[in-house]
Amino acid sequence: MTFLQIVEGPLFYFAAAVFVLAAAWRVFGLIRMGRKRDISPPKGSAAAGFVKGNLRHFIPRGMFARRTWIHIIGGYSFHIGLFVLFFFGAFHIDFIKQYLGISWTPLPRWGFILVSEIAFAGLIVLWVRRISDPVMRLISDWDDHIGTWLTFLVMLTGCLALQQSHDVLRGIHMLFVDIWLIYFPFSRLMHAFTFFLSRGHTGATYGRKGMNP
Amino acid sequence: MQDTLFKPARISVGKLVAGFALLLVLLMLFGVTQTYAQSVRAPGNAVNLDDGIEDGPSNALGDDSQSDFWRNFRGGDPNDIKQMISALPEGAVMTTTGEHWRLIRENYIRKYAGWFPLGVIGILLLYHLIKGKMRIPGGYSGNTLPRFNINQRVAHWFMAGVFIILGITGLIILLGRPLIAPYLGKEVNSILTSASMQGHNLFGPLFILALLWMFFKFVRGNFFQIVDLKWIFKLGGFFGGHVSSSQFNFGEKTWFWIVILVGIVMSVTGILLLFPWLVDDLRWLQLSTILHAGGAILLISVLFGHIYVGTVGMEGSLDSMLKGQVDENWAKAHHDLWYEEVTGKSATESADKEGIS
Repeated sequence: MTFLQIVEGPLFYFAAAVFVLAAAWRVFGLIRMGRKRDISPPKGSAAAGFVKGNLRHFIPRGMFARRTWIHIIGGYSFHIGLFVLFFFGAFHIDFIKQYLGISWTPLPRWGFILVSEIAFAGLIVLWVRRISDPVMRLISDWDDHIGTWLTFLVMLTGCLALQQSHDVLRGIHMLFVDIWLIYFPFSRLMHAFTFFLSRGHTGATYGRKGMNP
Repeated sequence: MQDTLFKPARISVGKLVAGFALLLVLLMLFGVTQTYAQSVRAPGNAVNLDDGIEDGPSNALGDDSQSDFWRNFRGGDPNDIKQMISALPEGAVMTTTGEHWRLIRENYIRKYAGWFPLGVIGILLLYHLIKGKMRIPGGYSGNTLPRFNINQRVAHWFMAGVFIILGITGLIILLGRPLIAPYLGKEVNSILTSASMQGHNLFGPLFILALLWMFFKFVRGNFFQIVDLKWIFKLGGFFGGHVSSSQFNFGEKTWFWIVILVGIVMSVTGILLLFPWLVDDLRWLQLSTILHAGGAILLISVLFGHIYVGTVGMEGSLDSMLKGQVDENWAKAHHDLWYEEVTGKSATESADKEGIS
C-alpha cells in the first residue's frame, strides 16, 4: 500500500469517522445541555431573537467597524474563500464524487487560484493580527495557533500539489487533511458548527426580554 | 599400480572455463586488431578502379571568413544598434539571445546567487561576535511610547509572511538544480520544484498587495532628511557613538525604499513571467527572469540585516512590531528626534537626568 493509498484510504476513513462522530457528539451535547428555565413573562419572541442574533452579528456595529475593519475583511475573505475552495474546487468535487457519487459544476482554474489568494490573504491577516494585537495575543492560546496553522498547512499543501505531477504532494495534502479532521472536533475549529448556537443563544435571551440582540 | 601411473591429471572445471575465456579474449583481440589493421592499410593486391564518381567542385570552403558568415547568420549586422533591440535582427536567420540568457543564468546567477545571502549572514555573525547585542543605554525605563499602530503591524507581518514563502520557494526554483538535485536526487528536486512553482505563483500576487499596503502605511516618515547624513558618517552608530534620527533612521529608510522600488521590479517582472503572453518579444521574459532573480537575491540579503537589527541585534526593537510600543530609553537612544517630537521633551536632558549616555 502506498503512502497516498493509506492517507486517502484507511487513515481518511478513520479521520472522517472521528470528525463526524465527535463533531455530532459535541453539537448534540451543547443542544442537550439546555438552559435554566426563564420564569419571567416574555416581552418578545425568543425564536425571532435567535434568528436576529445570528443575522445581526454578520455585520459589525457602527462604533466597532472602523476599529476592526482588518478583522472584518480578513475574516470574511478567509471564511468565504475557504468555503468556495472546498466546495467548488474541481479536485475536491472529484474527490467527493469518488466517495459520495454526487458532483456539481466546479470553479474554473483561474477562479480557484483567485479565491485561494483571497483565502490565504485573509488567513494570514487574521493570524498576524492575533500576534500583533496585545489583547488578542493575551487571549489566544495554543489551540488558536494550532488550529490556524493546521488550516494554513492544509490549504498550502493543497496549493503546492496543484500541478498534479507528483503523488507525494497530493499525499502530503491528504495527510494534513486527515490530521485536521481529527483535530477539528476537539478544538475551537468547532466554531464552524457552533457559532450559530452561541449567537442564537444570546439573540434568544435578548429577544425574549424584548431587546435588540 | 597401473592406476597410479596413468592417473589422469585433475583439472578443475573453473580453471578450464577461465582458460577458455582467456583464449577467447585473446582471439577476439587479435580479430579486432586485424580488422582495424585492414581498415587502415590497403591489401597488397588492391588496385584503384574508376568508380564513375566525378570529383566535387573545387574550393568548396570558399574564400569568405566563416566566422563573419555565422555571425551574420545568427545576428544580422552586429554594428546596427537598431537591429540589436528588435525582435529578430534584420537578415538574421536565427537568434542566440536564448543561449546568452542561459549562460548568464547558469554561469553568474545560479553560480553566485547563494553566496550573497550567506555573505551577509557571515558579516552579521562576525559583527555579533565582536560587538554583541546593542543594549538599551540605561536599560528598560518601564515607560513606553506608541510607535506602530495595529494596521502598520499587520501590514508589516503580512508582508513578512508572504515574503518568507516567496523567498523559500523562489530559492528552491532558482537553486534547486545545483544545490538539491546533486545531494537529495533529481526526484526530490522535481517534487520540491513543482511544489515551489505552484506556491510561488500563488503567493506572488499577494506580494503586490502587501507592497501597496506597506507603501501607504509606512511612506510617511520614510523620506530622506539632512539628519540622515550624520547617520551615514557615523555608520549608524553600529561601531559606537550616538546617532540622532527621526522616526526612521537612514538604514530603515533605505530598506523601505529598497523594498518598494525593488518590489515594483519584482512585481512587474513576476507578472510578465506569470502571464508570458503579455509580451511578444521573448527577450522581455529573459530579462525578467534575470531581474527577478537579481532583485530577489538583493532583497533576501538585505532582509537578513533587517531581521538581525529587529531581533537579536538590538535590544527592544522587536517590541515596536510585536506590541506597537517601545521603551522610552530605546526611543531616546535610537530615535531621539522622534522622541522629542512625540513627547515634547528634550531627549538629551531627560537622558542626562536618568544617567543615560
